[in-house]
Amino acid sequence: MLDFFTIFSKGGIVLWCFQGTSQLFTPSVNALVKSVILQQRTGTDTFSHDSLTLKYKLDNEFELVFVVGYQKILQLSYVDKFLSDIQLEFRNKYKDELTHGNMCGSFDFTSIFHDVLRRNEEESKQEALAPKKMRTFEDSQKSKKTVASMIESKKDEKKGSKGKENKTPKAPSPQAAPTKASPAPSQPAAPSPASNGDLDEETLRKNREAFFARGKKKDTAAAQGAAIPKSPEASKKKGKSARVWVNEGKKSGNLDWSGSAGDAEALQNGTLEDTKAIPTQAERALVGQMSGGLLDLEAESSEEEEEEEEEQVLAPSKPSANKSGGGFGMFKMFKNLVGSKTLTAEDLEPVLEKMKDHLIAKNVATDISGKLCESVAAKLEGKVLGTFGSISTTVKNALQEACIQILSPRRRVDILRDAMECKQQKRPYIVTFCGVNGVGKSTNLAKVCFWLVENGFRVLIAACDTFRAGAVEQLRTHVRKLNALHPPERHGGQEAVQLYEKGYGKDAAGIAMEAINYARDCRFDVCLVDTAGRMQDNEPLMRALSKLIKVNQPDLVLFVGEALVGNEAVDQLTKFNQALADHSNMTNPRLIDGIILTKFDTIDDKVGAAISMTYTTGQPIVFVGTGQTYTDIRNLNARAVVNALLK
Amino acid sequence: MASKKAEQNVVTYVTKGLQNGDPTVVGIIVAVVVVLLTIIFFAVRSRRGTKRQGILLMGICDSGKTLMFTRLVHKKFKQSVTSVKPNSGSIGLPQGNKSLPVTDLPGHERLRTQMLDDNKALARGLVFVVDSGTVLKEMKEVAEYLYTILTDRVISQNAPPLLIACNKQDLMLSKGAGVIQKAMEKEINTLRVTQSAALQSTDSTGNNNTFLGKRDKHFSFADIKPLRVEFVECSARGKDENGEADLEPVLDWIGRVA
Repeated sequence: MLDFFTIFSKGGIVLWCFQGTSQLFTPSVNALVKSVILQQRTGTDTFSHDSLTLKYKLDNEFELVFVVGYQKILQLSYVDKFLSDIQLEFRNKYKDELTHGNMCGSFDFTSIFHDVLRRNEEESKQEALAPKKMRTFEDSQKSKKTVASMIESKKDEKKGSKGKENKTPKAPSPQAAPTKASPAPSQPAAPSPASNGDLDEETLRKNREAFFARGKKKDTAAAQGAAIPKSPEASKKKGKSARVWVNEGKKSGNLDWSGSAGDAEALQNGTLEDTKAIPTQAERALVGQMSGGLLDLEAESSEEEEEEEEEQVLAPSKPSANKSGGGFGMFKMFKNLVGSKTLTAEDLEPVLEKMKDHLIAKNVATDISGKLCESVAAKLEGKVLGTFGSISTTVKNALQEACIQILSPRRRVDILRDAMECKQQKRPYIVTFCGVNGVGKSTNLAKVCFWLVENGFRVLIAACDTFRAGAVEQLRTHVRKLNALHPPERHGGQEAVQLYEKGYGKDAAGIAMEAINYARDCRFDVCLVDTAGRMQDNEPLMRALSKLIKVNQPDLVLFVGEALVGNEAVDQLTKFNQALADHSNMTNPRLIDGIILTKFDTIDDKVGAAISMTYTTGQPIVFVGTGQTYTDIRNLNARAVVNALLK
Repeated sequence: MASKKAEQNVVTYVTKGLQNGDPTVVGIIVAVVVVLLTIIFFAVRSRRGTKRQGILLMGICDSGKTLMFTRLVHKKFKQSVTSVKPNSGSIGLPQGNKSLPVTDLPGHERLRTQMLDDNKALARGLVFVVDSGTVLKEMKEVAEYLYTILTDRVISQNAPPLLIACNKQDLMLSKGAGVIQKAMEKEINTLRVTQSAALQSTDSTGNNNTFLGKRDKHFSFADIKPLRVEFVECSARGKDENGEADLEPVLDWIGRVA
């Protein structure tokens, strides 16, 4: 059933592999490594390549990767369990070799592999025969909800239930009342639907009857009064008796939250305090730095970083220490210092949560900071912490590494080199600029043009913004200025920059095409195509852009985006990419090849947009616009950005 | 005054304790001595660690670095996939009982600059691995990586010897070292123009705009002294998987470098 199974070290040496078919597995595994592990997308554990589905598991202690591949059409339910079983067996068997880092021994694992595989297959067969089990609470959607969302949903459902009688999920309402008084963690507040569903049904029905009896008065306060008397009963039962239900005996342990509730609460308070603290820290850090450039920012940051880190380490541990008594807390601290320990998901969670908030505060899009943190968690889980390593430093380092990886270009970007090659082939190098309104497309086009002219290229600017009033005039002014700066005498009697314009209201794709033909005839080296700004949701305009790119096949499609955007960055880029893919009617459509990040001088250390944009598309940031003059265009320095981000 | 008195008190307490053989005083002195010794030990060890003594295997993705690493270090053929982390081991040298650490750096674009920054200071010699079968197609990428290595401040300061290993000579359509050298020189000739005109980076440290080679001449590897560049042909795979690798020239070079 399995096509292949392979165990390899993160260094890339294959320790052991099993091949079910004669198909080579290396390309699939390479694709997995390149597009999942190296793109920081390790939050999810499946990946599909050609006709195969690949599942993988990282062993961070011994730096191993376990990959299983099977045909996409198969639905193998046992693969997850199988992977962890194999991991366990392999680690047990070769513990010595692995701890010594000996990756080149002979790993004869075939018999164990087949044993484990057979066992898992049989188990899954039996499971398929057995009647379907009920979902446990931990599996359900409700367990993932936070307290805040529960409270909101209560209000919504109250409003909703006025109209509709048979709306069932009113379950949280009796419990939500006590949660308002004291913010307890979500899990004790939410009842397990399996264990006391019938009780809830009953209270629900009663509530509803009471509610509709008074419904004509439309007195919502009274309705709430009806709900409240019921709620203490419900919460008392849950809090104290830890009742054993007849058919779900083992559940009782899960419901007894009395011990850990305090800790969790303290933890939450800790996080809240910290999120409040971070912006002020950052703000304070800004004060002295306005005078210097980005470099100064880095140098100063290091000390404060340490302080902040220490605070972060202490914040979660303090409250819990108070609960369990001072002396024990001290002991724990020493134990943390001395013993080397393995990182678990629980250890990482509070730190990552804080990191996520920090990233969001730095303007990284919400879901992207979530994904990044997941990926870091997957990379660190199971790793052995050194004697003096603290969790937050480890997480920070991993996150830094991840961010640098994201910002480093995935492919070669050297516009000058490519333009030179086009020059040899006697055709113009075509660059298209696109983006939403007002991000600085024309301004940065002029800057790029200046840079190209300085390097001895002749440039034609195609004014394809036929929509906004003044767009053509703006470009004409730029051309005049550039020609004044670089008079024709210096370029062999020819004008260094020319504008190709056809006025307003015409079809942009047509103008671009004419301009490119003109550029070819008149021996221009580069043709820069300026397009009209458009909202990513405006379908007709997106269709027009797609047509322009499809017809002209530019060498480079640059997306211009501001560094000021937060969550919007992802939406813009995905929609632009999607539109280019959807409207092109081609199997291999031209997508965005690179990003220009503008207004970078206005954001100081809120550099999150750079991460959001590169993570979304995987494309590099080609230029960064940093000011008003022609020379204010730069390359992105990944390290400086990441330092500003994690400060 | 008070501090002087306290100092005197301590001194008298220690001398008295020593004369009487008081276990607390002796214990304290022993502890202090042990701590000092440990600090000295670690200081000496870390200094030795910074000495340049390793060989770095570099090159773009799929050029055969990891296989060359296993061949050199473990004398074995191993299948390999794209690396995420560097591999390190040590290679025994034929002359004497010396051994030399070897590090295989991942070649993926996302990792290579980071890896180079982390390891460049430790290099005694650099082996730049090239896939002779596809090198002409990938020349732009190969040359750009080589260019970053050659213009790197630390590397041009330390000037470790550089070996360009034209790997995969077992393939039918592989190019010879001479052809590869010519193509590389031609590509770097254009690259040094475009790269030195590249934009400044955002942190205002300025770009590394050093011009490689002599200005009014075509680029040649002979002109970039003090860096010494050599080209060899080799094959990490060998004739077949179980056979011997054809890495004699590389081993020979390592022997000369060590």
